[in-house]
Amino acid sequence: MTCQRCENEASVHLTERVDGRRQEFHLCSACARQAGLVLPDSPPNLALDSVVKGLILANVGELAGELAELSCPDCGTKFMEFRGSGRLGCPSDYEGFAQGLLPLLQRIHGATRHVGKVARKRPEAGKRLRLRTLLRDAIAREDYEEAARLRDRLRAGDSHA
Amino acid sequence: MNLDDLTQTSGEWLRGTGPESDIVMCSRVRLARNMADFPFTNRASRSEKSEIEAHFKSALGGVTMGLSYMEVSDLPSLDRQFLVERQVISRELAGGEGPRGVAISRQENVAIMVNEEDHLRIQYMMSGFRLHDVWEEINQIDDQLEETLAYAFNSQLGYLTACPTNVGTGIRVGVLLHLPGLVQTKQIDKVFRALQKINLAVRGLYGEGSQAYGDFYQISNQQTLGKSELELIRILSDVVPQVLQYERTARQALVTERRQHLHDQVSRAYGVLKTAQTISSEETMLLLSSVRMGINLGLIDDLSIATVNELFIQTQPAYLQKLRGNELGVEERNVARASYLRSRLTNGKPTTEE
Repeated sequence: MTCQRCENEASVHLTERVDGRRQEFHLCSACARQAGLVLPDSPPNLALDSVVKGLILANVGELAGELAELSCPDCGTKFMEFRGSGRLGCPSDYEGFAQGLLPLLQRIHGATRHVGKVARKRPEAGKRLRLRTLLRDAIAREDYEEAARLRDRLRAGDSHA
Repeated sequence: MNLDDLTQTSGEWLRGTGPESDIVMCSRVRLARNMADFPFTNRASRSEKSEIEAHFKSALGGVTMGLSYMEVSDLPSLDRQFLVERQVISRELAGGEGPRGVAISRQENVAIMVNEEDHLRIQYMMSGFRLHDVWEEINQIDDQLEETLAYAFNSQLGYLTACPTNVGTGIRVGVLLHLPGLVQTKQIDKVFRALQKINLAVRGLYGEGSQAYGDFYQISNQQTLGKSELELIRILSDVVPQVLQYERTARQALVTERRQHLHDQVSRAYGVLKTAQTISSEETMLLLSSVRMGINLGLIDDLSIATVNELFIQTQPAYLQKLRGNELGVEERNVARASYLRSRLTNGKPTTEE
């Protein structure tokens, strides 16, 4: 059997459930590695970045159509940017991109729920992130009056923090 | 803190004390933390990075252990490399952009990087195999910082980080091991494969992608979500003794099967280090590794482990240049390194105690 992505002989065969449907994958070891599947003979010191990028592509490739449009309301990062860089833009991305991130987290960590130390609740954080994005936009379009107003609102929050 | 003063001292984690310190150079825990109301570092503007830095500095007042803050962005590149060699900052922070820095303790066991991939990377190192002690210390520092700082956290996913590989506990629990026995008996790959199967990462002395300098390997957890800090520490605490056992068995096999050859190798390595007139960093690491094993096997008795541990760091390029007080080319460094090694190994100069 040949690899589904190139002409080489497929050596990795697996079945997965994707959106409730059974899907079969037949890949050669190079393509399987590229797709982020961990093979038993994978060398040590494999750069983490490339592994993550492989995992991202493998897990969110099919959703890209839907997720391609997604961007974070708090920081403006687009899901596609994350897909390219492997870095999220702000804490709110974890909620905004949950649909794309949760399968990825499951693959990386084998879990999607935190266990362990718990931080204090800070309910105002999302709102302040949005104010910062607005501030950055205001400065970019040289609307200094708006920028000053936003800065005051952020400062007022600082004193409550 | 004056950086030049650091050339006179060495990190506590190099002392060669604590449990299993013949193989476990140090135990290390790092926590990735972000401030809740700022974008992650890669997305933050210059002024936001300055604000993050300012918030951190104000939180430092609440940390009972005395830490001094250095603005890495202001440092010349030689100084930044010097801090990388000492394991106090990462290469990523050294080569980063915009306001960023590090708070370190005098003994260099604590280092908190600001505006690295995450807003804060808190690191605690201790000589020997003492992961629980390290966790207790770092947990306390984390609590003290949180008195002032609002951390990015959500109840489902835990501490939120710029890269999804760190989300959850944000913890990396690791040990730095000296494994010359497994390298020489060619069993090291087998051990790596076994560790990878249970989701542990193996890296060289200077982290991700770095070659294994002087037979030093870091073993750490990869999973950060779904297992608590204590569970991850327990996994490492269960696995590391097995690796130590393999290493000891390998060393024993070398002693029984090739005693003369081993003794010769160790003595030659010591001899070259004591007498060479010019020597590269790679050769130095290789020979120091033999000497370190030789001391542990009782083949060398006039040299302390602490001195050898220090020399692994103090023969690196930036350290030598700081010591000389000026920049040196490769050839000049090789001469300076050989001269420094001779002075440390033949004059009976005591190890630095700080």
